[in-house]
Amino acid sequence: MDVQTIQALGPFITKALAYFGAAIAILGGLGAGIGQGLTGAEAVKAVVRQPEARGDIITVLLIADAITESTGIYALVIAIILVFVAK
Amino acid sequence: MEIGPQVVFRVAGLPVTNTLLVAVSISVVLIIGAALISRSFKVIPGKGQAALESVVFLVMDFIESIIPGQGRKYITFIFTILVFIFLANTCAIIPGVKNPTSDLNTTAAFGLCVFFYSHYTGIKVQGIKHYLHEYISPMPFMLPLHIIDELAKPVSHSFRLFGNILGGAIILEIVYSSTYLRWAFPVPLHFWFDLFVGTVQSIIFSALAIVFISIKR
Repeated sequence: MDVQTIQALGPFITKALAYFGAAIAILGGLGAGIGQGLTGAEAVKAVVRQPEARGDIITVLLIADAITESTGIYALVIAIILVFVAK
Repeated sequence: MEIGPQVVFRVAGLPVTNTLLVAVSISVVLIIGAALISRSFKVIPGKGQAALESVVFLVMDFIESIIPGQGRKYITFIFTILVFIFLANTCAIIPGVKNPTSDLNTTAAFGLCVFFYSHYTGIKVQGIKHYLHEYISPMPFMLPLHIIDELAKPVSHSFRLFGNILGGAIILEIVYSSTYLRWAFPVPLHFWFDLFVGTVQSIIFSALAIVFISIKR
């Protein structure tokens, strides 16, 4: 490849690398999924131990889920910015 | 495919986006609705008034469980945030209406409101000397860590709500832009993204606002 073709391909390389970066960024959802799965497992164990506290445990589970999801949301925001805003 | 807020017109050089229009109309509906409903309050409540009172007391009990004894003081702020964000998250069910909270400006405004209110409450309750002393306790070199912690709170607070609602909006737009999937398939997606996630995120936002205010007291 000579210099002229690389210079002509410039904008496409930018967009291609931005899409590639978005694909790598969305791997941050792995942490969110594992964390929420662990909270779900502990919630099930807590309900087994004390079945009459189901309402409270479900409330705490939902709150812990929403907070654990934050880092996954950060990864999603970076991926959205890379896909839709990169020229 | 367009995502994010779209500028509709300009007023004296400042842009007005479609999410701003929806947010202003939600505020107008809430103000007029509250004024009309509070006219018909009786001492012995009827059924609708009893339902509203039970919701308000539910939130007040939640505040009391975290900040004991001050439920009456913070209920207006927290309940306003709760109702507005709940309506703002679920109004995407109406076709053509865009969520105001899918715009980072709205969620960042709410995050900054909670941030300034919690610091103002901290200074007023603890006194400025004790409030500033907390930044250099337990060791003086923890000052940058405390500052970063304080700055990270409104960022995470607003981005959580923004990311959840914007993610749902993008998925729904992708589904609507395909020719075959746009008939009848978006109905369960709307139910999940708009109703369930919107409700849960509004409750999470106000619960975290209560926790942030209680930390500073």
